[in-house]
Amino acid sequence: MGIVIAVISGKGGVGKTTAAANLGLGIAQNGKTCALVDFDIGQRNLDMILGLENRVVYDMVQVMDGEATIKQALIKSKVSENLSFLAASQTKDKSVLNSEKVKTLIASLKANFDFVILDSPAGIESGYEHTIEFADAAIVIVNPEVSSIRDADRAIGILDSKSNKVKNGEEVAKYLIINRIVADMVQSGEMLRSEDILEILNIKLLGKVPEDKGVIDASNQGKPVILDKKSIAGQAYTRIAGRLCGEKVDMKDIEISDSGLFKKIAGMFK
Amino acid sequence: MQSNQYSVKIYETKIDNEAKFMAFFDANHTLFKDHLIVIQGKMSDMIKQYLDQKSLKYLHNITLPKGRTRKALEEELRSEKVDNVISQQIAEAKLAKLSTQLQNNLTVMDEMIRSGRELNIEGDLLLLNRVNSGATINTLGNLIITKVVEGAIRCHGNFMMLTASPKANIIFHGVEVDNKLLEDRLNRVELKNNEIIITPVLTKEINWA
Repeated sequence: MGIVIAVISGKGGVGKTTAAANLGLGIAQNGKTCALVDFDIGQRNLDMILGLENRVVYDMVQVMDGEATIKQALIKSKVSENLSFLAASQTKDKSVLNSEKVKTLIASLKANFDFVILDSPAGIESGYEHTIEFADAAIVIVNPEVSSIRDADRAIGILDSKSNKVKNGEEVAKYLIINRIVADMVQSGEMLRSEDILEILNIKLLGKVPEDKGVIDASNQGKPVILDKKSIAGQAYTRIAGRLCGEKVDMKDIEISDSGLFKKIAGMFK
Repeated sequence: MQSNQYSVKIYETKIDNEAKFMAFFDANHTLFKDHLIVIQGKMSDMIKQYLDQKSLKYLHNITLPKGRTRKALEEELRSEKVDNVISQQIAEAKLAKLSTQLQNNLTVMDEMIRSGRELNIEGDLLLLNRVNSGATINTLGNLIITKVVEGAIRCHGNFMMLTASPKANIIFHGVEVDNKLLEDRLNRVELKNNEIIITPVLTKEINWA
């Protein structure tokens, strides 16, 4: 039996899909099987970021409607045998989802994979509610800015009231990833500090990802940034994937920039 | 019937010195141009002309509706005329409800009030956690919050106790409380003779251990 993790954020454009793709690959590189499911029906993106857009034959909606089997629809990643991808439908919209169909789909994925990662749509509408309904855990992605934090707070509130696990009296585990941190801006006070974000959201920190220009290029080329061993964002995702797979990886303090503290100290000896 | 309801900011003032009054409004025109000006006491034609010329909307000598404390509400209920048995029963039931609201209706909560949540509490509320930006709390009774408030608060009780909360939107009996006045670790906000009074209760963080 696997674990189902929803990747959520509330606000759009904070890096949900990028995080989902990178974590999926990271988990696969750690030797666990992982299914990545794009729940953003009508606005499918994950296939492009994974570089699998020309391999999509059947989508999630066709599987739920019985037009294709789940084996037919799952696409194996080019990079790792362990990673499979299930595409969202680009032609339908979010209204085609219903709880029964989602439940069956997730149950069959859960039986076959160690990790099932659901890439949630932005916003808090029905598409989001269906993504979190049967999730065991949620990874909340935020950027260090107030609007992202407030939207994430709202998304967590809905998760805590509408998830199936909560309705059965259990608790959904919630983890935070702070994405696109610019060390200099945190130091100068222009960007929120992670301690402040954690105080507002009050959930466990899973990792911090620094701003990295390579991410956009990696997405455009369909090669998630985690494959680039030199990329600082890629290294951050590798650490986070390690933590998800049960390894003990220390938090790296990416909020202290090399150009800040280190250079100042180095400058003293010049 | 078609009707619209508006929330308007009102600036209430009394004119002692007309030159000073006009100088003040000249200087603060941008601040007051969307306010409704209420002038109590005497008002000359010159001032009327001045306000019209500045296209400021004004009212002269009216009593503004203000929020009532529950004590006043209780007294009003008591003084209601009781002419038959049924209305006496109704009045007693209302009083009983009010007194349970006053005494036995304390809610204690220790959970974060996250964005988008709206709490409506009939009695008193003691909240031991944060109120995040985008959340709303309405209480008919007293309200004590021991951690930072970033959301909106509407309180109709006899008092509120709040920590310094620079991002909060606080409305006490329909009047907006300037959160710059909540300076200390815990501040008491209460209504005395239609005036909001803020007194510091605790100036430092308590070390319970």
